[in-house]
Amino acid sequence: MKKKLFALLLAVAMVLTLAACGAEKNQEELGQDPNVQDPNVQDPTVQEGTPDAEPQLSGTMKVVATSESYVTLFDKFTEETGVQVELLSMSSGEVLSKLRAEGGTPSADLWFGGGIDAFMGAKEDGLLEQVTFDAAADLADTYKDADGYWFSKGITIVGFLVNDDLLEDLNLTAPASWADLLNEEYAGEIIMSNPAISGTNYAVVNALLQTLGEEDGWAYFDGLNENIAYYGKRGSDPLNKVTADEFAIGISYIDRGVEAKTEEYPVSIVYPTDGIPWVPEGVAVFKNSDNVEAAKYFVEWLFSNDDNLRMLAEIDKKDGLKLVKPSLEGVELGYDTAILMQEDLSLFGSQRADILSRFETLMGDKAANE
Amino acid sequence: MYLELSHLKKNFGDKEVVQDLSLSLEQGKLLCILGSSGCGKTTTLNMIGGFLTPDGGSILLDGQDITRLPPERRPVTTVFQSYGLFPHMTVLQNVVYGLKFRSCTKSQAREKGLRYLDMVGLSDYANARIHEISGGQQQRVALARALIVEPKLCLLDEPFCNLDAALRVKMRGELKKLQQELGITMVFVTHDQEEALILADSMAIMEQGRLIQNDTPMQIYRHPANQFVSDFLSLDELVWTEDGVLMKVIKR
Amino acid sequence: MSNRSVPAKRASKDALFRICGKGVDKLLLVALLGSVCLFVLYPILCILMRSLRGGEGLSLAAYETVWSQYRVNLWNSVFVGTLTAAFCTILSTATALFLSTRKGWAKLLCMGLLLVTMVSPPFVSSLAYIQLYGRRGWITYRLLGLSWDPYNCWGVIWMQSISFVPLNALFLTGMLSKLDPGSLQAARDLGAGPGAILRDVVLPLLRPGIWVSLLLSFVRSLADFGTPVIIGGRFSTIASEIYLQLVGYSNLEKASAMNMFLLLPSIAAFFLYRHLMRQADLMTGNGRGTQAQLPLQLRRCGPAGLLAAGVSLLFFVMMILQYGCIFLSGFLKLSKGSYSFTTKYLEELLKYDTSTLLRSVEYALVVSLAGTLFAMLFSYYMERRKVPGRSLFDCLVTLPYMLPGTCFGIGYILAFNHEPLKLTGTAVIVMANMLFKQLPTTTKICSAALTQVPVSLERAARDLGGGQFAVLRDVILPSLRPAFFSCFAYNFSSSMTTAGAILFLINPGKKLAVFKLFDAVYVGEYATASLISTILILIVLAMEGLAYLITWKEAKPRVS
Repeated sequence: MKKKLFALLLAVAMVLTLAACGAEKNQEELGQDPNVQDPNVQDPTVQEGTPDAEPQLSGTMKVVATSESYVTLFDKFTEETGVQVELLSMSSGEVLSKLRAEGGTPSADLWFGGGIDAFMGAKEDGLLEQVTFDAAADLADTYKDADGYWFSKGITIVGFLVNDDLLEDLNLTAPASWADLLNEEYAGEIIMSNPAISGTNYAVVNALLQTLGEEDGWAYFDGLNENIAYYGKRGSDPLNKVTADEFAIGISYIDRGVEAKTEEYPVSIVYPTDGIPWVPEGVAVFKNSDNVEAAKYFVEWLFSNDDNLRMLAEIDKKDGLKLVKPSLEGVELGYDTAILMQEDLSLFGSQRADILSRFETLMGDKAANE
Repeated sequence: MYLELSHLKKNFGDKEVVQDLSLSLEQGKLLCILGSSGCGKTTTLNMIGGFLTPDGGSILLDGQDITRLPPERRPVTTVFQSYGLFPHMTVLQNVVYGLKFRSCTKSQAREKGLRYLDMVGLSDYANARIHEISGGQQQRVALARALIVEPKLCLLDEPFCNLDAALRVKMRGELKKLQQELGITMVFVTHDQEEALILADSMAIMEQGRLIQNDTPMQIYRHPANQFVSDFLSLDELVWTEDGVLMKVIKR
Repeated sequence: MSNRSVPAKRASKDALFRICGKGVDKLLLVALLGSVCLFVLYPILCILMRSLRGGEGLSLAAYETVWSQYRVNLWNSVFVGTLTAAFCTILSTATALFLSTRKGWAKLLCMGLLLVTMVSPPFVSSLAYIQLYGRRGWITYRLLGLSWDPYNCWGVIWMQSISFVPLNALFLTGMLSKLDPGSLQAARDLGAGPGAILRDVVLPLLRPGIWVSLLLSFVRSLADFGTPVIIGGRFSTIASEIYLQLVGYSNLEKASAMNMFLLLPSIAAFFLYRHLMRQADLMTGNGRGTQAQLPLQLRRCGPAGLLAAGVSLLFFVMMILQYGCIFLSGFLKLSKGSYSFTTKYLEELLKYDTSTLLRSVEYALVVSLAGTLFAMLFSYYMERRKVPGRSLFDCLVTLPYMLPGTCFGIGYILAFNHEPLKLTGTAVIVMANMLFKQLPTTTKICSAALTQVPVSLERAARDLGGGQFAVLRDVILPSLRPAFFSCFAYNFSSSMTTAGAILFLINPGKKLAVFKLFDAVYVGEYATASLISTILILIVLAMEGLAYLITWKEAKPRVS
């Protein structure tokens, strides 16, 4: 018995040593990159031109993505380049917080998916790596950063998900437009996510403000606020709560995955007649990461080969890639681009803080009244 | 008789802890149940106190059958081996606790409590906490608490076993004095033969769940029932006065 | 065992231990205190520094913003914390009383239920709660036809209250079992009926424990962000606001400042807790051993007893419903409003590689063993060895309990993202975070167990020639065996289910099972989420059973 306990004691000592070793190992890895110590200095060795030939790639590429489902795409990348890929799903807000806390020593290489506003914020903070490659010229200007800090891997569109059973119970008809949502009879039955959390719902706010104009736009949200039950603190709340029969109307992203839900649950999708807000989903490489080269090559690999893009569109169950790369064959848009709202994406990043702050006050007023 | 135990029986599983025990006691007297540990004396006490229900037999107290009464409804109180004092109450609160369940106003209870504390020599400690007083003092609190409700019968379960030898002798004298003054009927359980011989008006010697002998100490001294009793009491070490009171024990 | 070895050899070995012992003893102490400073104090200081970071140099701007804009959240936190503490303590006390006065299969069943509910996978409980008591919940709407809205502060209070019950109830049950049976017997003997015993003896003796339960629930509620995030609706506490600041605005400064505000009431609660724990020892310290069952019948205890029995039954029924709901959801398929049984989800889940699950078990095992030993040693040095500044260290070690998990995680990233302490991205940072996040509870368990070990044992060992180290090895550690089981069980189940604290620490390639659960919850695959929860619960129970068997088996020969 005593011996066993003593062994336990040793185990702790071992764990402590392990900790020390872990730290050392990391220092060695870090040592390979001379720029780690000062993240604010621009890396002078970043290549301006991208090599046409496949560069020498090795090791592991760590990816933070919005979903696990991309694993097949990354498997293909591994097959072709030999780079192992490790995937972790994280929301874009989490990624941004983690990046900021890490203070320029990111623990992942590639950022795959998430509302473009977070990518714009990260670029602003100098957390992203510039990527340039030939095929970038084929991508529509709207959907890529002019300086090559981020690209779009698709487009998220927003619509209403309505619970037919509930509407029937409540004796209501489904709303057809954004304007309809102001109807008093929907009071307490609409749910949307907090725009600070959800890139999709931030796009709704920004797009409607752009479409309606500053003054009318805020008046609209003041009115909408009266009808909204609450603002979900997770991006998928509207979708989940409407399918769970908890609320009748959700302002949610729409993709073929959501379409599939209409088979399982008594819900249907409504595309608002007065315009669909949309937001590009970003792809970017983290600055100063352990395997920058592999991540940069992945971006090039993805956008240069249409097979890869088609595979991505298939996984995403979205066809917005057609807009990103108009020359892409085999992916056809399921909707008319005319119903997409006119958006100036450049305002998405710059206005974010102001809009969210004003929105916070707007939401708070109601919370305070309760 | 005031207290009558007749044909008491108690089994724990297969083990017969108390077998066909019959005993009786006059009012105002002190009965000592004496025996080595495991002889069934505490079990007997617990049956009188109501903490155990006998498997057979009956208990009569002052003409009333109390065999099946729960402890809270018996006119019997106990001084426990571990005292069972309430650590969250003061000395006085402990002493008067039992009066809560007997029609008694708060001021009456207080007055009576102080009187009993005085009787056991603890009037200065009325507001002390239990963990602030010594073992001997705790013992007295427990005694006062058991006596204040004026029970028809007071049971004591090896009450002095946690005290040192000198204190034990002192407490012994005090207890006997108190018992005689108040005229209270007591049943006292112990494994200490000296204690039993000095305190008892009547002695009951138990062994393996059976009553071996029940008589006055003098009678038992003169006519021990068998060799076991004689050995257990080490009778040849005793010196008695003419009127049957134990004078001293010769230690060899 | 070792009796057969040559005595001389043994003697020389012991002499060696005596010489080395002193060195090892000092080394251990330094290592323990050093790692507490490194893994608790340092990250928290990093959070503090971050909260002071303004445009230029140090500034209190973040605090001013929080104080002017989020005072209502602070108030909300205190409001929810107070009510949760009250409700939870009432529930826990009732449950503990119910459990202590029962024996046989009913007790076993209830104990088992508490053990199951001790394992609470994140988010899933809240989802089950919504499923049962939501706006269209099975019970509130379909069964009772109520149209009630759970998305407010009452939902949060209720949900927190019931989810904190198992730990508190077990703690109170332990305390009840140590009550001096003599006190209860004496009260009965003096004429007190069951009701009076409950009112005059049991509850007053339990009072310090009740206070501890109140304080622990209060602090836990302040730090809990998951519940208000999922069912708070428009109601938000400071903890859920911290989450929002981190995940929505990525504003580390504001989040850090909010944390500092949260620490103030928590630290106050801690010192109160310490004071009360000492009192609790006085009340039960002299209890002789333990009793399996409190000699009291609740239903005879008058209104209070009936209330306790009723409340605890209600609690158990709710728990059965909630966990039943979780288990069932994994096997139910919904299509257009009707349910059918399916093993589809289970098959899909089993096809998925089990590496995350194995990694979870591996991490949890390491954390449990290392954490338990750490807690034992730490509490030994704190309780018995009068180390200078021990109340400071005792307070330090408790701090992680008071911080919302996400923030403790961010603190780790801030602290360990650069040389010479670059740990981000390693398994070590994750395990260290789990270990130190759980340490507040495990050290409390060990300290409580240590107070049951008489100092005389220790003195005897020293008297016979053993050094400090021998005392530790031969007396302290063996006598902490019962605590070993509690600590291990707590560590293991927390490690398997904690998500908040390590949300930001987990890296690609080192994913844990709870993250799979997270994903599933996020995309609304309740069936998968339920199945993962079920598997997690089963693994934890199996491991606890194993630990129990080992500790029980090894303890048995010592009884005779």
